[in-house]
Amino acid sequence: MRAKLKVLNKEELDSIYQTALDILEKIGTNIEDDEIIKLLKDNGCKVGDNKIVYIPEKVIEKCLKTVPKGKINIAGRDPSKDMIVGGHQKYPYFMSHVLMNYYDELNNNYRVITKEDMKKFITISDYMDTINGVWMCTLMPDFNKMYSFYEYELAIKNTTKPVGISSFEPDSIPPAYELAEIMVGGKEELKKRPLTVAFCEVSPLTWNKYGCDMLKATAKWGIQPVITVEAPMGDTGPATFAGNIAQKIAELLSGLVIVQLLQEGLPVFFVVPWETFDMRTAQICLASRPDYVYGCAVGQIEDYLDIPFFSPVSPDSKLLDMQEAYELSFSLLPRILSENKAIVIHGLDQTHAINNELLVMMDEMILSGKRMIDGIEVNKKTLAFDALKEVASEMDGGRRNGHFLNHKHTLEWFTKEWIPRRDSVIDKYRREKWIEVGSKTFLQRAHEKVEEILANHKPEPISKEIEGKIEKIYKKFNIPEV
Amino acid sequence: MADYIKEIYSAVLKYDIDLVKKRVEEAVGSGEDPLKMMNEALSTAIKEIGDKFGREEIFLVELMIAAKACKAGMEIVKKNLLDNKMKVKKSKGILVMGTVKGDLHNIGKDIVKTLLETTGFEVHDIGVDQPAENFVRKAVEVKARMIGSSALLTTTSPYQREIEKKLVEAGLKGEVKTIIGGAATNVGWSKEIGADFYSSTATGGVDIIKKYFEGVRNEG
Repeated sequence: MRAKLKVLNKEELDSIYQTALDILEKIGTNIEDDEIIKLLKDNGCKVGDNKIVYIPEKVIEKCLKTVPKGKINIAGRDPSKDMIVGGHQKYPYFMSHVLMNYYDELNNNYRVITKEDMKKFITISDYMDTINGVWMCTLMPDFNKMYSFYEYELAIKNTTKPVGISSFEPDSIPPAYELAEIMVGGKEELKKRPLTVAFCEVSPLTWNKYGCDMLKATAKWGIQPVITVEAPMGDTGPATFAGNIAQKIAELLSGLVIVQLLQEGLPVFFVVPWETFDMRTAQICLASRPDYVYGCAVGQIEDYLDIPFFSPVSPDSKLLDMQEAYELSFSLLPRILSENKAIVIHGLDQTHAINNELLVMMDEMILSGKRMIDGIEVNKKTLAFDALKEVASEMDGGRRNGHFLNHKHTLEWFTKEWIPRRDSVIDKYRREKWIEVGSKTFLQRAHEKVEEILANHKPEPISKEIEGKIEKIYKKFNIPEV
Repeated sequence: MADYIKEIYSAVLKYDIDLVKKRVEEAVGSGEDPLKMMNEALSTAIKEIGDKFGREEIFLVELMIAAKACKAGMEIVKKNLLDNKMKVKKSKGILVMGTVKGDLHNIGKDIVKTLLETTGFEVHDIGVDQPAENFVRKAVEVKARMIGSSALLTTTSPYQREIEKKLVEAGLKGEVKTIIGGAATNVGWSKEIGADFYSSTATGGVDIIKKYFEGVRNEG
């Protein structure tokens, strides 16, 4: 039976959802855009003072019906690798996330990320079969307010897997959109396999001018919006789980309603990081104890809404140390076990840094988590009665001396049951052998693996034709080469 | 390479015991050279499999099943040689192996034994829970040049020292070498009791044994 972590019953989920509806109808959403306020008003919402819009349940229910279900498609160069959310495939998907800095622990070097760092990180992500796609958000200074375009180009050139971007600058959307069109092969194809862009609502319950511009841009271009809410517990969201979830759902739904009224039928999904305002240090932290609790519930919440949640796993540790391993494990595993649709893995240092060796660790963790959720298969073959009978029948000097190490049942099943890696970097040697092979730390072994991948794995290059079309985009939008 | 050699060889590499037996029987039935089957197909295949395991390219169960398949093929070949009164090739070395008194663990010992047998060694396995004198008695009986003993419990490893003592008493210490292994042992222990060789892993032990007997053959 496949595992599914459940920590909320139907009554509790109903109660949280009803509170979210009450928030939207009775507390209202502050919207800093007159055009969107008018649109909401024309569709049955009340407008109060200070640009507060009250969205009634019937409008929300109507918009939830027009959002396509089972059609969320995060696209990359290779359509066979698209992340299709909906239907009966196994979840979660896993995406690596490129961030602002690169931390090289082996050389004790923390630096602003470079294009070379990004290429390497994306190449490793392209190689790893546990990683389904790459999310980009670097704010690299050289990209000078055209982050989304440069990041998108760099990502699609170095992986055939799906790519998502986080937009902070409206000017980069048109060229990024054209790039996506070239990549998928035309306007019609782009409707089926759209460009995906994440942007953020402001808690509590506010769509500021930037957010409204992003909502309108996605509707205008047919870009798949990823609505993100961040309401750190005890800061801009309640310190209680139930209240915080209800607020987040209200905020997400307000974005969904606006998108559907602007462009009915546009696919929408949510990114919901779980932040806590750390009362000891006055810092907003992600992979804290509350995040682990939320991780247990996220799969149920997204199933209830029938809208996929992408949830970030983002340790606060500054080093690749025991804290990093603890935060990664506790943040990741509940999400996997609750069958969260997609998990976006940040690196370390509170979403500020990435590291290549960490991907090797993630690869092992993901593999284990995926195997755990697959559960235990029980049938005649896996019960192994016949195999045990054969092994137990082997006798020597009146004693049983059989074992399973040379039995075909072991050969047939152990890789399916354990998913062992022939090239695993997890040390399982006896001490003497470990010393013999160099007494290496995990980090050293992971680094060797990284070097091996980078030496041998070459992501499929883009065609000359597409390369030529990209050059034309640079000229058309007057984008400087970086 | 003749077709029948290729077929036997590839059946071992597929870890298919029944197919190996079938191919060897077919080849024997067609009057093909049994020694070639042994040397060019079975031994070559198991050497390749062993090397792959050494490079961590395959798992132990694959090595063990390939070895089992080779052993099954070799049994058929040997029977054919004996039936036709042909000489079976001299073994690469004779060993006595067992698990010491009070200890019932046999898996590591069996791995070593299987790997040695499939590469041409004559291994006399005296089983588990064996007192020291049985190791020495068997070594004398079969003219073994080495005794391998396994101990997985700290309560049973002292019996490995007993083997050394019995060899000294019999005047065989040095002539009959000893190799020890098992979870309760380490280099320090092997030195303390005066064992000639030690290995922390079964496959490492096989390498040591092969190297030792190669040296013996070169000497004389």
